Amino acid sequence: MATEKKDVKKIREAVKRVKRATYTPVKPDMQLGFVHNNVDCIGCRACEMACKDKNGLAPGPRFRRVQYIEGGTYPDVFAYKVNMSCNHCAEPACLPTCPTGAIFKRKKDGIVDIDSTLCIGCRRCEAACPFGAPQFDPIEKIVKKCNMCVDEIEAGRKPYCVMACMMRVLDIGPIEKIWDGSLETVAVGKADKVSRQVKNMANIELTKPSIGFVAHSKGKVK
Amino acid sequence: MTKRDINMSKTPDFEDLQQRLNLSRRSFLKTTAAGAGIMAAGGLVELKFGKEAKAFAYEPYPRDDQLQTVVTSCAHNCGSRHMLVAHKWKDVIVRLSTDDGRYQRGGYYGKDGNEEPQLRACLRGRSYRQRLYSAERLLYPMLRVGERGEGKFKRVSWDEALDFVAKKMIHLKNTYGPTSILDQSYAGASYGVLHKSDQIEGLLGRFLGMFGARTSSWSVPSYQATTTSSRWTFGTIQDGNEDDTYAESKLMIMWGWNPAYTFHGGNTFMYLRMAKQRGCKFVIVDPQYTDSASAYDAWWIPIKPNTDAAMMAGMAHYIFSNNLQDQEFIDKFCMGMDEGTMPEWAPQSVNGKENFKDYILGKYDGQPKTPEWASKICGVPAKDIKKLADMYAKTKPAALKASWAPGRNAYGEQYSRMAAALQAMTGNIGKLGGCAEGVGKAWHAEAVAYPYDQYANIWFQSIKSDRWAHCVLNYPNIKREEIGLWPRQDNTDGQIPNIKGIFWQGSDWFNQLTNINKEIQAIKKLELVVCMDSTITPSGIWADVLLPVATHFERHDVALPWYKGHYYIHRPKVIEPMGESKTDFQIFTELAYRIGGDVFGKAYNPKANRDYFNVNDNVDEAYLREWWEGKVMHHQHVDMSWDEFKKHGVYKFKLDRPHVAFQDQVEKGIPFQTPTGKIEILSSELANIEDWTKTKYGYHIPSIPKWIEPWESLNSPKTSKWPYHLISPHPRWRTHSIFNNCAWLRETYEQEVTINAADAKRLGIKMGDIVELWNDRGKVVVPVYVTERCMPGVLVLHEGVWMDLDKNGVDRAGNPDFLTLDNPSPAGAFAYNTVLCNIRKTDLEHRPGWDKLATSRAHVFRRDD
Repeated sequence: MATEKKDVKKIREAVKRVKRATYTPVKPDMQLGFVHNNVDCIGCRACEMACKDKNGLAPGPRFRRVQYIEGGTYPDVFAYKVNMSCNHCAEPACLPTCPTGAIFKRKKDGIVDIDSTLCIGCRRCEAACPFGAPQFDPIEKIVKKCNMCVDEIEAGRKPYCVMACMMRVLDIGPIEKIWDGSLETVAVGKADKVSRQVKNMANIELTKPSIGFVAHSKGKVK
Repeated sequence: MTKRDINMSKTPDFEDLQQRLNLSRRSFLKTTAAGAGIMAAGGLVELKFGKEAKAFAYEPYPRDDQLQTVVTSCAHNCGSRHMLVAHKWKDVIVRLSTDDGRYQRGGYYGKDGNEEPQLRACLRGRSYRQRLYSAERLLYPMLRVGERGEGKFKRVSWDEALDFVAKKMIHLKNTYGPTSILDQSYAGASYGVLHKSDQIEGLLGRFLGMFGARTSSWSVPSYQATTTSSRWTFGTIQDGNEDDTYAESKLMIMWGWNPAYTFHGGNTFMYLRMAKQRGCKFVIVDPQYTDSASAYDAWWIPIKPNTDAAMMAGMAHYIFSNNLQDQEFIDKFCMGMDEGTMPEWAPQSVNGKENFKDYILGKYDGQPKTPEWASKICGVPAKDIKKLADMYAKTKPAALKASWAPGRNAYGEQYSRMAAALQAMTGNIGKLGGCAEGVGKAWHAEAVAYPYDQYANIWFQSIKSDRWAHCVLNYPNIKREEIGLWPRQDNTDGQIPNIKGIFWQGSDWFNQLTNINKEIQAIKKLELVVCMDSTITPSGIWADVLLPVATHFERHDVALPWYKGHYYIHRPKVIEPMGESKTDFQIFTELAYRIGGDVFGKAYNPKANRDYFNVNDNVDEAYLREWWEGKVMHHQHVDMSWDEFKKHGVYKFKLDRPHVAFQDQVEKGIPFQTPTGKIEILSSELANIEDWTKTKYGYHIPSIPKWIEPWESLNSPKTSKWPYHLISPHPRWRTHSIFNNCAWLRETYEQEVTINAADAKRLGIKMGDIVELWNDRGKVVVPVYVTERCMPGVLVLHEGVWMDLDKNGVDRAGNPDFLTLDNPSPAGAFAYNTVLCNIRKTDLEHRPGWDKLATSRAHVFRRDD
């Protein structure tokens, strides 16, 4: 884990490499992404708890965050949920900010991850991400974030949050299939359309996040 | 213990993964090869450390498949029961996952669906490691050294602790008699077939009954209104459908029901989603626009708390006066619904001369219970009452799910009975897609593996549960009706119990019953307070002796569904008991030996000997095996052996047909379980009561459902002093008070009072301000959540937060039971939601938990167009 002593030499070499290389986003062979149903989600946060437990996080950092959105005027009100962790963006804003090259995007599935042995906890990525994905761990003094449970993916399973969803409204899949509606998933109902952008969410042009939503009627972006 | 091949998930899942990710065979092979280490360099072309080859940046990190997998379940008194899967390294649970379809017979990763849905755990279950390994765990027996309630204890040996308890018990029984010890066990932390804590029957009840000193507590805090009501109306509390039947409804009226918070049943919330996708219309009658309202896109009808029975009477009036009732159903199955269904004996009965329809039409009191009349009481426009009544009468099948919260009220039983009358008059009982709930208990599980005999429920007096403090403080100058004394058939009938000691097993009742300040007065008068729990609790602070109890991860048991669902989950001893903790069963057995030698010890735990306190594995296994083979295999015709069940960890029943309560009664004409075999809208029990003081109710109850004005509500003159009505529903981030100490849960939810935005504006209160709520009974301090989703005049403060008193007796944690009144409804319902109070900004500090880790509510966004 990251509490071990940092290999200063290794970090220095990595910094040199960063300075040498110009970042161009990796074009993954296949990009995985999340899909979430904003309407049918009951906001129970079982996904959040599963994530905290899976990643052994102390109180504080929250890789996954179910945002509660509400509006209207009594008694004509509405409410919905926007559930987000890391969006494993096509053009991750975090990645070029990393001075040590700790952040990388995987070629095979586009998952963006942080190498904890290289992270020095400078928190630049945290500031750069428009979605609040990188989370500072005040105990280990490094930044951590969702890696889509790569260990589970490699074992042929889905991430903990998806498998925790009591309502079955959170799922993963190849993002193109999520967006064009061809992914077979119970997260999306037969009559539902998937959108890439919803209200209360940063402009997707910033980083091209790999996420799709079933938007609430009041959460749709024209 | 179930040992699984750590690679069990590997082989069959290649196909699965391919399907789930919609990958072509080719691309899948390619990515697999990449995983083997060909690829380097994430975003950085030249990176050559091969980090990605290992594909995981957090090495060393124990992956699930490197850990031992043990199927178990959660164990709390929440309304459902889900699978937890422990991934452990040696004797430490590293993480928990849940059902993913592969554990049951014929299962595979990802298997889900209507017949055998996955039993996915909720947020509370998923946070369990925080409770298991919490700083609040009780690890050693402790004895009080300071004043009671001061919270000062010293560690003692089991020998010393148990001798202390045994001697005190004998002293109390010899000095004050067989009513001297109050049984306040509850289903809190110990619900299983073997290690069972339960209010009515369970390990403690049988122990105290056999010992010969037990006053029991008969009214159930959560749902006594509907329990009593369903017994009157249907003759049983098994009025529930299994949750998959909800998917068949065309209209779902969720009356005070918020399954997005309470998760009732294994997959209720999911089947409701299915109903929505099939075009079912949802209506929610509730002072709050809950998450259930939003998720099911419901028509929200805000209603003043405690006025539900009036609105239902208005609906009944609309249905009768437009002749929309299912008269054929009424004539065939109901008694007392109208003049034509009255029994012959009615005119001669003392209390049963009236029928429901004529009451609704105003024949007896000159007041027709019109929607307009109801509107003035409940605050719902008459046109909405009519519209809902029209929808309910004309949509078939339609489910009126009358949940528990509106029954936790003064005269809550009238709400429950009125709902049953509506369900019956529209003919929605016994039909798929309809609903007769109510209690909602559906499929019957074999629930008893512990020794069960004539001692299972011995009591010498039994009182309404929230009257114990009143009883202790006023003994012996109390009338039996004040404490709801259950009648006895011997010469001790009516004797007021002389309570001098309390036992808490799996129960935090001191924190959870009504009017805590009165309880604090009462507990000081006791001579023995025993708390058995796995963590320190607010109740435990007030105990004389703390006995550390092994959690359900640390003992062998089987979990059964709580409310709905048809399955058993094996619960092996996942890890060894922490510290010196023992199971409840070990503690009671050892106490029995200490009090009554071999005679008591052997009688209490027939399969064990004295050594059980130290070694319990084989005895527990023997009880469970006997239960499985004798009851589950024999009675329920399960063909899976005990050993195979242990290997799988779960058994899911496949039902022949969807389980619908009273289907046989309606389809085959089998009599209902009431005295008359009918749905008793007119209760034959109530109709023939002459002396109410001699009943457990204590006070008069009408024999047909009626609207009765509660002692506190927004319609009461008391609002001039106490203008807000406080309700205290079950929270989502606790099971009552359990899990309040889990920082993971508290960083996502905060104890806070919900107030309507217009009310807040008038009071100058903004989101996040700290406010105090107070009335004559007490005062609490909490942050405020300002929202348009709450009805004006109503405050919402969730029950179960761990009380934290300052030196002036103000609760800084925000426990609503400092404001509730210990005045139960005649039928036994706790009046948790019958509370008026006031609110104002305060400078007092809120203390959200006993540690300092709690953070404020995050991620609530007000969206302004």
